[in-house]
Amino acid sequence: MSFVLGYYVALIAGSTFAAYTGRRTVFLMLFSLTLASFIVGIIGGEGALRFIATAAGLLALAAAVSYCFREFLVAVTKPSLSKELKTAPLTAAFGMFVIFTYAIAGIFAPWIAPYGESEVITQAFAPRDENLLLGADQLGRDIFSRIIFGARNSVGLALLATTLAFLIGAFAGLMAAVKGGWFDNLMGRTADVIMSVPSLIFALLMLSIFGTALWVIVIIVAVIYSPRVFRLTRAVAGNIVVMDYIEAAKLRGEGDWHLIRKEILPNSTAPLIAEFGLEFCFVFLLIAGLSFLGLGIQPPTADWGSMVRENATLISFGDITPLIPAGAIALLTVAVNFVVDWMLFRSSGLKEV
Amino acid sequence: MGDLLGLVLKRLGLGLVTLLVVSILIFFAVELLPGDTAQQILGQGATEETVRALREQLGLDRPMVVRYLDWLSGAIFFDFGVSAISGDPVTASIGPRFANTLFLACYAAVIAVPIAIFLGVLVALFRNTVFDRVANVLTLTSISSPEFFLGYILILYLAVKTSLFPAISSLSEGMTFGELLHRTFLPALTLVLVVTAHMMRMTRAAIINLLSSPYIEMARLKGMPPFKVIVRHALPNAWAPIINVVALNLAYLITGVVLVEVVFVYPGVGQLLVDAVSKRDFPVVQACCLIFAATFILLNLAADVGTILTNPRLRHPK
Repeated sequence: MSFVLGYYVALIAGSTFAAYTGRRTVFLMLFSLTLASFIVGIIGGEGALRFIATAAGLLALAAAVSYCFREFLVAVTKPSLSKELKTAPLTAAFGMFVIFTYAIAGIFAPWIAPYGESEVITQAFAPRDENLLLGADQLGRDIFSRIIFGARNSVGLALLATTLAFLIGAFAGLMAAVKGGWFDNLMGRTADVIMSVPSLIFALLMLSIFGTALWVIVIIVAVIYSPRVFRLTRAVAGNIVVMDYIEAAKLRGEGDWHLIRKEILPNSTAPLIAEFGLEFCFVFLLIAGLSFLGLGIQPPTADWGSMVRENATLISFGDITPLIPAGAIALLTVAVNFVVDWMLFRSSGLKEV
Repeated sequence: MGDLLGLVLKRLGLGLVTLLVVSILIFFAVELLPGDTAQQILGQGATEETVRALREQLGLDRPMVVRYLDWLSGAIFFDFGVSAISGDPVTASIGPRFANTLFLACYAAVIAVPIAIFLGVLVALFRNTVFDRVANVLTLTSISSPEFFLGYILILYLAVKTSLFPAISSLSEGMTFGELLHRTFLPALTLVLVVTAHMMRMTRAAIINLLSSPYIEMARLKGMPPFKVIVRHALPNAWAPIINVVALNLAYLITGVVLVEVVFVYPGVGQLLVDAVSKRDFPVVQACCLIFAATFILLNLAADVGTILTNPRLRHPK
């Protein structure tokens, strides 16, 4: 009872304060939440209100952490960069914070994880206790340790595939823009064909033929996603190639390679970096999907997609453990998307009205 | 009108060529492998003679190009040869499953399309408000989550904790239509969540793009009420992008359906494909891939043709 009372007192006090200081949006949000809580409270009882309070608390915590992280980044970076960072929305700061956390987890995995990646320490599906933060999986391995190692394996593999896709796509795109003619046409048609098959289906076909070795996955995924990069690079570079300074460089007698490296690339980095982020999300989700289907990263390597599959039976007992690796995948993708959203917004120069 | 017809025909022709190239890709990729279907059916212990006999029986001793043409002409009439594992005709196992997959995709589309377009237009009208920001974060989250994440969350809360819907969508003969809808609700809902988010974002972008064009500004400046601006000026021009968005997302459903079918153990083509891939049953893999690719290409084609047909400038040439 006291919780319900405190809940409404806090909400009404908050909205009064917001109204008094003239913050219209904050007031509207808080007060509409209050009104909605009346209805939710009547239907769902105290539990529903507790749920809302927890969610709001988590949201506030995330916002506070993002705010601090942004201020921290502004403080430690060079003036030119910190000026940009100051304009970043909280969602982008949150994204950067999450990416930072994942990077730490991935790089220092052996030191953070209490047990080894495929070390069998107890019986299958052991419940959680002080030593096993998230319990054990179907073979008695520590799930927490495997999630930490998964940060290294899943993300590492996706990064590798994205980088390769980027190298192939960007190189082909730049060459096509510089060379033009039949090479351009050939590359364009090839990209069309690859993009006309759904990526997951294409990946399944290729994996069924070439097997599921790690390097095979990397190459196949890179080939599937390189046309996207190719098209973007081709479009961006196509606009640059017709500039006068390129003409001047050509007249100076510079070769194709010089044109690409010194004239075109420096002028097309902004959209390419944003594309790298987007591409990473696609690749990461595709590899996670493949692993979930049992055709990606093979056991005993710890990987989030296959961990979901291996522990999926726990769901039917109402245990949320299998959702944690899946949530880890979703969180990273969301984080990268938040950052990319901000970058695209910045490079588009506030085009939206 | 002849101009328009020419454009559509050209696009159709291009789609057909793409489909042909993809079929070549699917067929010859498998041909690169050592060994063939006859050897796979008989296994390692088969003698040279039996393999040769089966090869002749299946027509595998003919040149590659002849076999490709044979396979292609069969595929046009939905005859994909026999499975390398069971030896049964592939079409018999794909047929009913394809109907199931189509049903699931349509179920999801019927719910998702109206909601997504309505919300997308709404978000575009209230752009840069709190409502828009919240919608942006929510749709981004939904897009970024793998389908199996959403699927398992739904199973946990709607099937295990509350048992409103069954967690496994097994289909049986003689089910009523209502029962069918109830059983397949969770997989459909998973698809709806993902596709709605995609479609909302694309609709929003298309409408905002439209609202910033000069003639909308003009209509506003002459004092037209906002509702009328939308219905009279924006909507007729918005059909092309909206049709495009819908068709592209239906194409997206095709890929999403594979993962969702596996999560909910739904008897569709996606599940069959995954099984065939892990068993290396190539005739089935080829058939499933061709079906998925053809649907995907067809929907993309529909998107393009729809855009051409709804473009007023092409419909009424000067």
